[in-house]
Amino acid sequence: MTPRGRVWKFGDDVSGDDGIIEFAIIRDSFGKEFDEDALRAMCFRRLRPEFPAQVKAGDIVVGGRNFAHHNHVEVSVAMRASGIAVVVVESCDSGFLRRALNNGLPVMICPGIAAAVSDGETIGADPATGEVHLPTGQVLRSKPFSERMVQIWRAGGTIPLLEREFATRPQAAGHQGDAA
Amino acid sequence: MARRARAVAVTGQSVAQKIIARAAGRAAVEVGDYVTVTPDYTACQELFWPGHKRNLERIGVDRIPRPDKAVMVIDHSTSAAMGSHHHETHRTLRDWCAQQGIENFFGPGNGLRHLVLTERGFARPGTLIFSDEGNIASIGALGALNIPISTEVIVALIQDSNWLAVPPSARITLTGRLGLGVTARDVIQTILRDTTPDGRLLQCCVEFDGEGVATLSLDDRQTVLASLFHSGAYTGIMEPDSVALEYVRARDGGRPWEVVRADAGADYVTRMTYDLGAIAPMVTVPPDAHGAVPVGEAAGQHIDQASIGSCAGNRLEDMRDAARLLRGRRVASHVTLYITPGSREVYAAAAREGLLEIFAEAGAAVLAPGCTTCWGYQGVLNDNEVSLSTQQFNYQGRNGARTSRVFLAGPLTVAASAIAGRITDPREMLA
Repeated sequence: MTPRGRVWKFGDDVSGDDGIIEFAIIRDSFGKEFDEDALRAMCFRRLRPEFPAQVKAGDIVVGGRNFAHHNHVEVSVAMRASGIAVVVVESCDSGFLRRALNNGLPVMICPGIAAAVSDGETIGADPATGEVHLPTGQVLRSKPFSERMVQIWRAGGTIPLLEREFATRPQAAGHQGDAA
Repeated sequence: MARRARAVAVTGQSVAQKIIARAAGRAAVEVGDYVTVTPDYTACQELFWPGHKRNLERIGVDRIPRPDKAVMVIDHSTSAAMGSHHHETHRTLRDWCAQQGIENFFGPGNGLRHLVLTERGFARPGTLIFSDEGNIASIGALGALNIPISTEVIVALIQDSNWLAVPPSARITLTGRLGLGVTARDVIQTILRDTTPDGRLLQCCVEFDGEGVATLSLDDRQTVLASLFHSGAYTGIMEPDSVALEYVRARDGGRPWEVVRADAGADYVTRMTYDLGAIAPMVTVPPDAHGAVPVGEAAGQHIDQASIGSCAGNRLEDMRDAARLLRGRRVASHVTLYITPGSREVYAAAAREGLLEIFAEAGAAVLAPGCTTCWGYQGVLNDNEVSLSTQQFNYQGRNGARTSRVFLAGPLTVAASAIAGRITDPREMLA
């Protein structure tokens, strides 16, 4: 089942800490539970003031080159808590991909996406196959997630996945990971 | 040990590919592969520990499989000041380490993870270390590979493994020698200026080579690697030379290591060359980490605060650079200068060499080893105040008020500017 959603399109070099969110406002929360209400309220508001009020569960963010550079983990949590199903970017740093997936938000690196999609269009994007289905019927292909990454995504993040795995495992300590 | 080669066409392997292949138990890995690797160590700081602890309890982790691989360091909130929750974090982490039988627990004052890893022989050639920050690529100066996994660091503790995407590699060749008044920080600020806007180092492991590397001290090499992540590079590494290997041998405690070299046919997404002799003192103008300009373009900017410290500027050579300019001079009366040695070892060496005395007599405030002013834990800025710092970040509000501004520079430029009370070319005081 390929996630399909309405596109919120952003440009190149969008900062995570100083653009998608405003990290300076929440940095005293290090170590505390994420304040998802506050993160939702600030998500993308600097770039698209209407975003927090108008974003809907299942929407897709499309970003340009070096999307979300300089991102603390709260950047990923803000997008996931806003209901974003998938992020598709021209390019981004590896840390963003990790932090996002760890928190249940899949990021697909798909060169060519920025030119192929307009804001407000509906596209399909499936991290498991790496396929992005454009409104024209054209399909862009990116590197598919590994089996383990798909498990993390479907579980809603690493912690929920490990929680489930440990719960069904009598000898809890000693998870072997996958051989992907 | 016989390993089964994968049925893929594999050309020359980069240093990162080789280290990752070993940690994945494979003969070779391809760039872009998602693989699961077993680390040699996992290094973790305290700041997120309350969240990590909640997650460990939620998952139901009783014992971690390899407590001997955990390197746990309190470096961000070392003073556990009144009014904060950090003292509770310290207690929680200390108790958890004791319960897990983790011997490599380093409390406040031991220094930053970066320095703990190198000084205590964890970072050795060919080792793969999962950590919670990209700037720990500084350990690449000893030929060790930092794989930053942020808040997932507990996953590596729980599983003794985690996934990673094999990074492409880039090559930066350094030639020549630094001129008077120029530091390693000026080198990396120049590289960030050139490589960040077009994203050419995104996701890369950057291998540094060339005869210029040997002219840099080990401390300088760590400074270059520590700031590399601002370009979007994933990690960085240098082939350890005799200086690096001598350092490792003195600290390895008999633990194994192996120098890993790139194959001749290794593939690099980009190659660049920098002549160290052509680098000038640089100042990075807020709010971008790549907004470096020659110091002359920022000279004259009034400053309220200056700081020398952080994983990009807190090693003994940085302390010596600061002392070169502060000896016999005084910090401007309107400026507060904070100096933070990066570890207990650096602190002690700075004391032995008389550097701390020079700092005190110049009117500087010497802080205990830790991240201190780099993240605004200490030296908080008020509205409209300006700081010049060797710290890592300069985004809006990093050090306090959102209208405050942080300029970045190497230790010579920061020391010269603290004395003058405004951003100043250090060459004017060294001539």
